[in-house]
This record gives sequence, structure tokens and C-alpha cells, in this order.
Amino acid sequence: MASSMGAAGEAQQIRVNFTTTLPELQLPEDKSQLLVPGDIKRYGLSRVVNSEAMLNTDSPIPLDFLINGTFLRTSLEDYLKDNGLSFETTVTLQYVRSLTPPIYQASFEHDDWVADVDVLSSTSRAGLWAGNSLPQGQDRILSASYDGLLRIWNMSGQVIATSASTSSKSFPSTDYVPAIKSAKFLDASRIASAGMDQTVRVWKYKEGADQLSGDLKPTLDLLGHKGGIESMDVHTPSSRILTASNTGEVGFWTTSASAAPDAPESALLAANPAKKRKLSAASGVQKGALSMMQPHSGPASAVVFHPEDPTAAYSAGQDHTIRTIDLTTSKVVNTITTAHPLLSLCSVQGITTPLLAAGTSARHITLVDPRASATTTSVMTLRGHRNFVSSLSASPMDNYSLVSASHDGTCRIWDLRSVRTGSKAEGGGSVSEAVYIIERESQKGQKKADIPGQGCKVFGVSWDKQWGIVSGGEDKQVQINKGGNLLAK
Amino acid sequence: MAPRTQLKRKASVAAAEAEAASFSDDEFGDGVLEGVLSDDSEDEENSDDEAEDVEGHDEDLDSDEVPSDEDPDEKEADEHDGPRYRVEKDANGGERYVYEEIDPVYDSDDSDAQNPENTIGDIPLKFYDQYPHIGYNIDGKKIMRPATGQALDALLDSIEIPKGWTGLTDPATGKPLNLSRDELELLRRVQMQEIPEEGYDPYPEYVPWFTHEEEVMPISAAPEPKRRFLPSKHEQQRIMKIVRAIREGRIQPYKSPEERAQEEDEEEEEMYDLWANEQAQPPHVMHIPAPKPPPEYLPNKEEKKKWEETDPDEREKKYLPAGYDALRKVPAYDTFVKETFERCLDLYLAPRVRRTRLNIDPNSLLPKLPRAEELRPFPTVGAVEYNHGTRVRSVAVDPTGEWVASGGDDGAVKFWELRSGKQVATIRLSADEPVNAVKWRPGSAILTAAAGQDVFFIIPPMLDQEVQQANRAVLDTGFGYATNGKTATLTSNGARKDPPGTWARPGARLEDQGVLLKITVRSDVKVINWHRRGDFFCTVSPSGQRSAVAIHTLSKHLTQIPFRKLPGLAQTAQFHPSRPLLFVALQRTIRVYDLQKQELVKAIQPGARWISSFDIHQASGDHLIVGSYDRRLLWHDLELSARPYKTMRFHPNAIRQVKYSRNFPLFADASDDGTIQLFHGRVHNDLMTDPTLVPLKQLKGHKVVNNLGVMDIDWHPTHPWLVSAGADGTCRLWA
Repeated sequence: MASSMGAAGEAQQIRVNFTTTLPELQLPEDKSQLLVPGDIKRYGLSRVVNSEAMLNTDSPIPLDFLINGTFLRTSLEDYLKDNGLSFETTVTLQYVRSLTPPIYQASFEHDDWVADVDVLSSTSRAGLWAGNSLPQGQDRILSASYDGLLRIWNMSGQVIATSASTSSKSFPSTDYVPAIKSAKFLDASRIASAGMDQTVRVWKYKEGADQLSGDLKPTLDLLGHKGGIESMDVHTPSSRILTASNTGEVGFWTTSASAAPDAPESALLAANPAKKRKLSAASGVQKGALSMMQPHSGPASAVVFHPEDPTAAYSAGQDHTIRTIDLTTSKVVNTITTAHPLLSLCSVQGITTPLLAAGTSARHITLVDPRASATTTSVMTLRGHRNFVSSLSASPMDNYSLVSASHDGTCRIWDLRSVRTGSKAEGGGSVSEAVYIIERESQKGQKKADIPGQGCKVFGVSWDKQWGIVSGGEDKQVQINKGGNLLAK
Repeated sequence: MAPRTQLKRKASVAAAEAEAASFSDDEFGDGVLEGVLSDDSEDEENSDDEAEDVEGHDEDLDSDEVPSDEDPDEKEADEHDGPRYRVEKDANGGERYVYEEIDPVYDSDDSDAQNPENTIGDIPLKFYDQYPHIGYNIDGKKIMRPATGQALDALLDSIEIPKGWTGLTDPATGKPLNLSRDELELLRRVQMQEIPEEGYDPYPEYVPWFTHEEEVMPISAAPEPKRRFLPSKHEQQRIMKIVRAIREGRIQPYKSPEERAQEEDEEEEEMYDLWANEQAQPPHVMHIPAPKPPPEYLPNKEEKKKWEETDPDEREKKYLPAGYDALRKVPAYDTFVKETFERCLDLYLAPRVRRTRLNIDPNSLLPKLPRAEELRPFPTVGAVEYNHGTRVRSVAVDPTGEWVASGGDDGAVKFWELRSGKQVATIRLSADEPVNAVKWRPGSAILTAAAGQDVFFIIPPMLDQEVQQANRAVLDTGFGYATNGKTATLTSNGARKDPPGTWARPGARLEDQGVLLKITVRSDVKVINWHRRGDFFCTVSPSGQRSAVAIHTLSKHLTQIPFRKLPGLAQTAQFHPSRPLLFVALQRTIRVYDLQKQELVKAIQPGARWISSFDIHQASGDHLIVGSYDRRLLWHDLELSARPYKTMRFHPNAIRQVKYSRNFPLFADASDDGTIQLFHGRVHNDLMTDPTLVPLKQLKGHKVVNNLGVMDIDWHPTHPWLVSAGADGTCRLWA
């Protein structure tokens, strides 16, 4: 501390007040007020707080400092100047653990492009739903691939189970394989998948005792979509599934074969063409949808359950809209129109109000307030991606950060607390920029193509407390990145 | 004789008097004009002359005409035989001879009476203004004023102006003064200050007697004298004389120094100071001393030194003030020559006229176009690349906007997922022929692809099963007609004639891949374009002479060739989006045919040398963009003119394809230079406003291979996205 003070020299002294919400890093009452030189930056402040006189930590904890909800990125002096504040005022600095860069952990090699990933761990959603039935140490990654297969991986990168190929071809000699676009763990032993074969399939997953081999069996085929399914969301406690198809339909299904209505005749016929009567060995019982809605005029690209209420859902479409659907009545309750085709959707807790993050084809993420009463729908814009934003996942640890996957071959981590006002070219509003960028490990050292992300598009991302950030894409890899403090707590 | 003469004269005078009132103009003419042109004094003389002349003439007449004139006179004399007077008593009682009044003879041909003899002399005529007469004749009789004032005559005169009428009155006779044509011409010439005599040329053509031109023939034929070739002896003598003088020293080239000094001494004027011994005198009473600068204004030594030391260019003043006690002591201006020279130099070097620079902001001359940023959305960057492998000739986005089909040189059609860029299916249509065109059928997802002479109908495998079934039905309905493919028509001479198109199944291998129908036409198909209803489509095979353009009916499996003969090579053809019109692009013109009336509606002249492609605006149907191999992009307003509304030349190489966006005011062109140019083209509904054309962006990315860049482009049906096919083997999505 002394050295930093001494080096400051002539710089103006500014009185600061350090606060924090982290209980383990509380400062004693009498130490929170301090005079610091004006030209001090984040690193200096972090050293000050970590110093012996203050927190006296064993190893320095990297800290970030928030003033009025935004990160301090310049020197303190410059911040005051830019915001027209007096140097006499006492500045309140809230210090938070700095997000450390997510470090590359591992890559799991696939035969074909990876369309979607999901994780199973004690902290993941499916793991929480599974509760006690989840065996200890059964942390799995589920990947859906363009070759129409599901794969389940353990932490050491071994394939424990691969689904059987289920596609039934209308033209025998085409090389077309319907891709699986979305796959989710329902709980520890059940998996749901959906894809271009217009079918939602529920699988039974059973592992051997050695936890090195497993078995995937289809138990239920849900038919009724008329187009390829782009996105799926599951809610195990109410055993419901939501799907969005590229014909603009949103399907609402149940996972219980007994509760599900019969599949429509036409769908059955289509799924089992008369000529090729032989049913795929893998397919199970065929049932229909609880309800099939057509909220979008263009292709529907993503659908999610309301985070608290499983009878409400949000769906995003390429017709630029986000629709709030009441699932009990199958009616669209609210429509939010944005400026661009939307490709992905996830709900974020938000700092004050729950928000929806929607990834657009215009290379940014729009955060909207889904409440019907909200005056301004667009809350914030996250800018930085250089291609379509294909997938989004909210942070499991806090309510203000999320990760996005994009066709530009990167995953980007965003912090909603760091905001600046958008320039005129950006259309004004609040704009945030990525905190960290995760590149594809497979593209390291390769020449950049002139189209961003060519050959390494990222199609799916999932953020789990234990696994870290799991993403899969065009490079046929599932890549795992883990931040230093992401598991630190 | 004398009394007779007298008598005759009397008679003639009486006749003149009687006739005076009824003189005709012509008769009057000759006598009066003399008086007009001559002075009064001459008038007198003339009249005298005339009088003499008349008298002489009279005598002549008398003598000559004795035989003829004598008889009536004699008769008369006979009739009035006896005295012609009566003798009466006068007041004094004496005798008085009273002569009878002479009876005037009207038919007298005596010309004497023509000249009235006014004897009043040279007095102003106005003296008689109050009287009815204007003078007296030689007999003392009053000459009555002619009836000039008579209203009828005046009226008649005013109605038809007689020849030579001047409106003047002859002062001598008081009658209207008329002029003949020659006189009038003379007057005009005098008035115009021309030479009065007609035909006189004051400036006759100059005859160059002596010229610089050398005549071909010399004046003298004598040969050149010899002396002209010999040195002159006289000149030699004179030169020798000078030479001798120089040798003898009588002529010297320059003067000796002593001599010169002596001469200079002689020439030098004696100069002396006139005022050298001048005594200071008290100033004269009237003396006003000349203003002299007070000494404090004069520079002191230091200032002088400083001024001299400073650089001439840096001095504050160009001169150093100095005081003199007399004007004669003021020296000449020492830098006069230098300064004058510099002034001249300034004038010479400086521009004489201040050039008025045109102060126009070049930007203000440009038309007011909206900025490209305000015209969003439009594709800006490449988003997805589809790697076909070989040169891609054609690309098409399916009506739902989820799939892309590309046809390449390898004879394969590949299907791609639009957003992810995943290749989902490959169908190899031909082993050796490239796929020249791929086009989706509007409404339903059936792909038509042209490879060689075949057009294939493909049901892509990734579609919904129900849709596939419906599409199968669409393709199969035509087999019920089966008129075209199987029965060959017979020509007039009985030979079997090939039908224009054969519709058939393509074979088991392709059928298993989803290719369910094939049309074989006579020559290689390069272009396919569907009618919006999805039942008709036209194919263009530029190499097929008469069957270049064919219209196919899918529901009947029927192929027709609408044009027996086209006036050129067909390049491409397209149906009008709303009216039953077919646009056929030949090399230089686009011809519009009405399919119902079967007639040519319009011929559009884009002015390009070789049209490569065109597209019709979907919403209005009245606008056309044309791309040409000679690098031009042309916008046509069909309502306006057959000539282009706007010509754009932005590409360095040929333009291969042009396309309107279906639901955005955008259009794009693809060029061999590997770039795509995007334009904003808003068409207004009212007929008054011209379309707004703004160049938006150049999309670069495709590599140029074998001088081929971008081969084809297609717009996404719902989003402002563009798919392009490149010769480098890739397709790209621009978003």
C-alpha cells in the first residue's frame, strides 16, 4: 500500500469507501474509508484491498470494483472527470471477485458437428430435479450431433453411451441424416432429444455398475411437428417438454406415455411410410402433443419455460418476436417485437428484474423485459459477436452473467453490471461488452478465415457450476472451459 | 402673217384658260418638274427660254403646217368676212372699235397654252392667298386658282394616290406637284447620299498591274548577262583603295590613347558651382521657407546604423529620412531604377486578372441520397460459407428460407442447412455435365435442376413426409396426360419428329434419391424460371436454335416451344410476376410477349452489348434490372421508356446475375470480379416519383478463379440475406 501511495506523487487524493456484498471478504468498519491517489486503477485498488492492512489475504484475490453499478475500467480520476463528479466527494467502491478467465480444460472429439450439449451434475438443473436419485460422481455431458446420434460422456472424455440411429428414410439412397438439434437430461436416467426428424424422443438411460458403459433406449416418440425441431426445453417436475420447429410451431408435450394423447394419424403415416413398414427397432411408443401452437409467422428458433412458472413459456422466432405463451390455454399472452430475426433465447435472473436474453442474427444479444407491463422492452444490448448468436446459457452462480455461443467460433461471457451508453451507430440504449471470450481450442494456430467462425461455429453452450462452460460446434468438439473462481466457492 | 399669228396666239391662250381647270396630270407633268428641281432664278431664265423656244416653235409650226392649217383658217376667214369689229361711239363722241369676243377653239392642238404664263413676277405667292386668282397672264387676265380645294378632288386624290404624287404643290402653278419614276429615283439617290448617276461605280475593281507574283514567262527572253556572275572590278578597286590606306596607316582601327585623352579633354565641359560663393542673404519679404523635417524626426546615428545593418527586406521603412537645406541639394532617388524594375517585375509576374475561384462545395453537386446507414437492414458481412467443392454455377434458397440448394460443375446438387451451413444431402445428377441451374418451385419445395439437356425434379429428403407426399402427387399428376413424351408427332412429310421435350422417370438410382421426374429437351438448358403459380416454367437453352425458349407445364407434362424463330440468341427468360407476359432476353434486347394474345408487346433496349441476366421487380412489375457482360447494370422503368432509367458501371468485369430482393427494397448484382454489389432500390407507388437508387455495399469474399467470380445470387425469401455462388467452389450467405 505504501508503495502505491508513494508512487502516486502529485496525483490528487480521493476519499473512497470500500463496500462489498461478499460475506467472506468483509472489511472491518474502521478500515473501509481510505484516501487513494486519483490515478489509481483496478489493479492498484485490488492490491490496496488485498494488502496486509486491509484484508490480509494469504494469496491475493483478484477484485473488480463497481461504481454505481458499472465496472471501473479507467483510473479513478478519469472516471470522476468523465462523469462530472467532484474530487471532494467520497466515492463508494463496491469490490467483487473478479471474473477470472475461463481456462481451457478438455475437448471431446465427435464424428460430426455437435448441435447441442447438456450437462448432468449435482448442481445442474437436471441434477437438482433428480435429487437424491443421482449417484455420486455421475457427472455427464450429453451431446447431440448432426449425425443423428446422442452421446453421453464422462468427465474423462469417454463415451459411455451412444444412441442407436433412428432415422427412417423416405428415399433409401440419400445420404441425408436428420440431425438432432436439441438434447436435454430430464433427470439422471431419462433424456429427451429432438431434431430434424420432427420427433421428440424420450430415452431411458441406464449405466453399468462400473460407470464406464451405459445403454440408451427410446421409450417414447412424440409426433406431430410438421417441420424440423430447432429447440427444446424440458421441465421434469411437471414432466413437460416444449419444442420449437422451423415451421413456426411450438409443441407442448408430456413425457409420460400414459398421459400423452395419441399421435395424429397423418404424423404416424408420415413417420412410418407405407412402403417401409418395418419399424425402426429403436423407436418406442408413438404419442402426440398436448397442444400444438402456431405463435410465429416465421420459423420458431427457441423456446424456454418461464423460470418459475412451468405453465408459461417464452418462444423466440425468426419473425423478430418473442412471444409469451400461456401453456394452460395455449394462447399467446404477450408479444415483444425486436428489430432482427432471433435465433436463441434464455432467461436470466437479472439484477433487479428477470430478463430474457435473445441472440439475434444481427450479431448481438438483446436483453428484454418480458413483463407485459414493462414500458421499455429492450433493456440492454450485448455487442461483440461477429456472427449469428446460436445459443445462450445463464450463469448458475449469479444472476447477472451469461454465456453466449455464436457462429463466429467464440463463446462470450457477459456481465450485466458493466454497462455503457450505446453510441448513435449502435442505436443508443445500454450496451455491454463481453468480459471474456472463449476461442475454440481446435482452431488454435490456424489461419483465420475471412468469414468469422468458418469451420468452428459454436451451436450449443451450457454453463454449469461443476462442469464450467461446455460448448459444442462445427469443429466436432465439445469444449470445456472452467473459470478459476467459477468453482472457487 | 403677223396678225394671224397674233390671232392664233390669242386663241391658244383662251384655250389654255378654258382648259386650265381640267388639266390632266400627264399632260401637266413635263412642264412643272423643271421648276421643282431648279432654283427660282433659274426658273426665270428657263421660263424665258421656254418662251423663246415656244415662239420659235410656233414659227416653225406655222411655216410647216401652212398647207394643213391654212384651210380652216381660210374657211373661218371666209365665214367672218368683213371687219371683225364694230364701230361705236365712245363717251367723247369719237369712234371706238369694239372687237368681238374671241370664241375659243377647244380642239386646238396649240401646245403654247400648256405653259401658263403667270406674270406676277418674283413675288411670294402668298400675296394672292386672299384672292381667287393667283396672278395674271400675259393678257392681264386673272389666272384663277385651280380648284385644289374642291373636296371631291381631294377625296379622289386621297383614295388613289396617283403615280408620282408628292403631296406638294408646285409653287409656279399652284397645282399638285407630281414626279415621274426617274425623278423619284434620282431624289432617292441624292437623299441617300449616293451618286445620282445610275450605274456609276466609284470603286472599280483594282487591276493589279504590278504584283509580287512572278510570272512564269519572263518579260524579256534575254539570257542572264555575264556581268552578274563576275566580280565587280569597280568594287575591287574601291576595296583595294581602303586596303592600301590601312597599310599605309592612313586608316587606323582605333584611336591612340593619347589622341583619345586629348579628345576627351576637349569634349569635357567645364563644371562649376553656381552658388559656390553665395552669400547668405536675409530672406525676401515674400519668402516662405520650404518645410523641412525637424531634426528630431531625422534618424540619429544609431538609428541610421541600425537601419543599414538590417536586411533590406526586414526594414520597417524602405528609405531613410534625410534633411537638406536646399532643394538643389536633394539628390536623385538612388533606388529609382531598381524600384521601377521591381515594379515592372511585379506587374509582369503577378497575374493581371484576379481569378474568381468557383467556390462550390463539390458535395453540393451530388444528388441528395440517403446515407447507407439509414437504409438498413441489408446484408453486410459473410455469415456462412458452404463449401461445394467445385465451381458452383447456381444457387437457390428454398421458399421456407431454411435450405439452400447449389448446383456445380461436378454435376451434383447439394443441399445445405441455411444457417448452420451443414451439408445435408448430395444428389449426383450427371457424371459429366455440370448443373447449370437450380430453382425451387414457388410454393412447394420441389427443386428443379438443369444438367445438360435434362431438367430434373428433386424432392429434397429433409422435408416433412407429408410435404413429400404432396410433392410426389404434384409431379405425378402429369403422367395421366402422357401426351407429350411418348407419342411422337409426325411432320407434314411423314418423318417422325422429336417432341420438344420428353418427360420421363429418371431411373431407379436417382428415384431412390428423390429425383422423380426428368425432362429432356433438345439442347443444353442454362436457365430455369418458374411462373409464380408453380405450374409453368420456362427453360432457356441459348444453343438451341429454334427451341431456345421452351415453356413447360408441370401438371400436364407438356413442353411447348412458343417461338418459331427468335431474332437473336436467347439468353434468359422470365415470367412477369402478375401479368401473363413472358420476358425473353436476347443478346441486346429484351422482348416482352403477351402469352394470351400471342404477340410482341414491347422491345426493351438496354443498350448493353450482351445481356447476361435480368430481373423483374416483384411488387410493381414495372421495373427491371438488367446485367450485362459489358459490365453494365441497368435499371429500366417499363412505363417510362424502352431505354434505361439509370445505367451503373461499377464493376471492372462482367455482371453475371442480378436479383431483386422479394420483400426488401434491395437488389444485388454478381460480377466476375468476385464482388457482389448491393443497391437500395425503392420503387414508389405513385407514378410521379422516380425510384430511389442508392449503392449500399460491396460484398467481397469470393475469389476469382479462371476469370470467374460470383456466378449466381439468390435472396432469402424473408430476411435481408443474400446467398451467392462462387467460381471458387463455395457459396456464401451474407447477412
